[in-house]
Amino acid sequence: MLTTTLLTVWLLLPYLAGFVAALLPSLARALVLFLCLITAVVGCSALMAADQAGVALTLLGPTGVTLQVDALAGWFVLLDAVLIAGVLLACWDRLADTSMPLLLLVLQGGLNTAFAATDLVSIYVTLEVVAISAFLLILRERSERCLWVALRYLLVSNTAMTLYLIGAGLVYAQSGSFGLQALAQLPLGAAQAFVLVGLFTKAGVFVSGLWLPRTHAQAPAEVSALLSGVVVTAGVVPLLRIGQLDPRLLVCIQVVALAGALLGVLAAQQTADVKRLLAWSTLSQMGLVLLAPVAAGAMAFSHGLAKATLFLLAGRLPSRQLQGWQERPLPLDLQLGVTLASLSIAGVPPLLGFAAKKGLLAALSAPWAAGVVLVSLGTVMVYARLWGAPVSQNSSAEPLLNPPLRRSVTGLVLVLLLAGIWQLQSTLSWGALLSTALLLAAGVALQRLLQRFRAAALQLPALGEQLQDLLGNLALVGSGLLLAFRLGFS
Amino acid sequence: MASIRLLELLILLAALAGFTGLLLRRNLFLKVLSMDVMGSAVVALFVLLAARTGLRSPILTGLAAVPAAADLAADLADPVPQAVILTAIVIGLSIQALLLVVVTQLARIDPSLDVSSFESID
Repeated sequence: MLTTTLLTVWLLLPYLAGFVAALLPSLARALVLFLCLITAVVGCSALMAADQAGVALTLLGPTGVTLQVDALAGWFVLLDAVLIAGVLLACWDRLADTSMPLLLLVLQGGLNTAFAATDLVSIYVTLEVVAISAFLLILRERSERCLWVALRYLLVSNTAMTLYLIGAGLVYAQSGSFGLQALAQLPLGAAQAFVLVGLFTKAGVFVSGLWLPRTHAQAPAEVSALLSGVVVTAGVVPLLRIGQLDPRLLVCIQVVALAGALLGVLAAQQTADVKRLLAWSTLSQMGLVLLAPVAAGAMAFSHGLAKATLFLLAGRLPSRQLQGWQERPLPLDLQLGVTLASLSIAGVPPLLGFAAKKGLLAALSAPWAAGVVLVSLGTVMVYARLWGAPVSQNSSAEPLLNPPLRRSVTGLVLVLLLAGIWQLQSTLSWGALLSTALLLAAGVALQRLLQRFRAAALQLPALGEQLQDLLGNLALVGSGLLLAFRLGFS
Repeated sequence: MASIRLLELLILLAALAGFTGLLLRRNLFLKVLSMDVMGSAVVALFVLLAARTGLRSPILTGLAAVPAAADLAADLADPVPQAVILTAIVIGLSIQALLLVVVTQLARIDPSLDVSSFESID
């Protein structure tokens, strides 16, 4: 059904639409929606295709661009279609005469290609396109805070990608090809270390991903939703593809990913800010996504939808302080959205997060699965901080959610719910229900216990998150990988 | 071959110098320039990669005089890394420009552009 010509047109269409949107700004929003529709159709047909390997494209000869539109790419492509449409609808009225639709088109073009690309150079180019459009999106708000966060983001991202490019050069020097296949066949060494450190940074994993919490917490709400939901996964997909091709590197990626997942839940425990809590949780969930390439698509899809919902709603909160959350009343609609989305990330049926987490556990061997359960417990504890605020009674005040935002959030939660119910019959069992209930109860109880100590404990400073540290982290992770490869890591 | 290894070493030293500057400089403007030093070193690396097979530009002049395949590969540079790095140069330039625009905006907060004065914005 998907042919080479159709796919090439699909990959180029966002950029063409971008030109049209620049010339005819009145059409821009409609064009974004149209492109999201096409992208969703492509994503669905890649997922539904009987052949899991999908369609492989080789453009411009044997040394040219290679792309693979398979089930893995399908999930991510669908995610970016749904999220970009969701964010556009959430702030539809405010975007009439801005450059945001244009940026969304370029972002979509970059993301679509990043999810499909299987050679190091295409991945480099698309990740840079994605980084530049994300940078410009953060700058939608011209505050000093956003200027600094955007600069920090692009500086770290470009440094990581420069290291990645050195790795790509070394791969070509040794094998004469830029394909991921060539990377997977080389003996472990500096080339893989450079490529991995670049991708780890982009994917927001472990210490190389420490740029993520502040960036995602300080960006404007609708941009945070995109950054945390889908932009960060642009670095995840190449890592998953490398893991699929090379079992040696898969183990290495899994170790770093699980460490990142644990770091994320631990750090989210001690933060005092809602948006930082969500951002730390993204860092942790990206670790889980990277653990198993087979289950990664569903994990990233369910996390992306839920996290985007949470960030969109967090933008409307009267206060970002977590201190005293259980005493401050909030309107029912906002609470319902926050609770449903966070329950999905915590893996509670019938939401999609449950099926995704069961798929992940099924794809992993026992020791890794134990790690996932530990991280799941941590995740429940993190989100238990957002549950149980009293419902505000006064309906006279202006509603916190405006109609477009309410529609968009409802849509995102409905997708989570319906897709979850659709996936339910294959994953639901009494054992799974019981373990989820136990996990949920244990998490909430532990959180209540921890809450007593948190009030007394002093807030830790943002450790390792200054620009200097972020750049140092790149060197740290890179040399760590190199050392591991030299010591005969298998 | 020895000269190529030596050049490779020098290029990697240049990349390291750029990275060290990025780490140690306190001034944002100098940080961005250090990043460019690193980027230039990568460009040099790719040019060197292309030059391993020869130095002549891989451009045919006139289709009538196509040399035999054996002669063709003799001393021509490898076009693939060159094409790749051309893209990377363009991307590097645009990122550099964007970063410098933001740096000029940030100079309003602290004209000396010291990193520590921006970390506290929250």
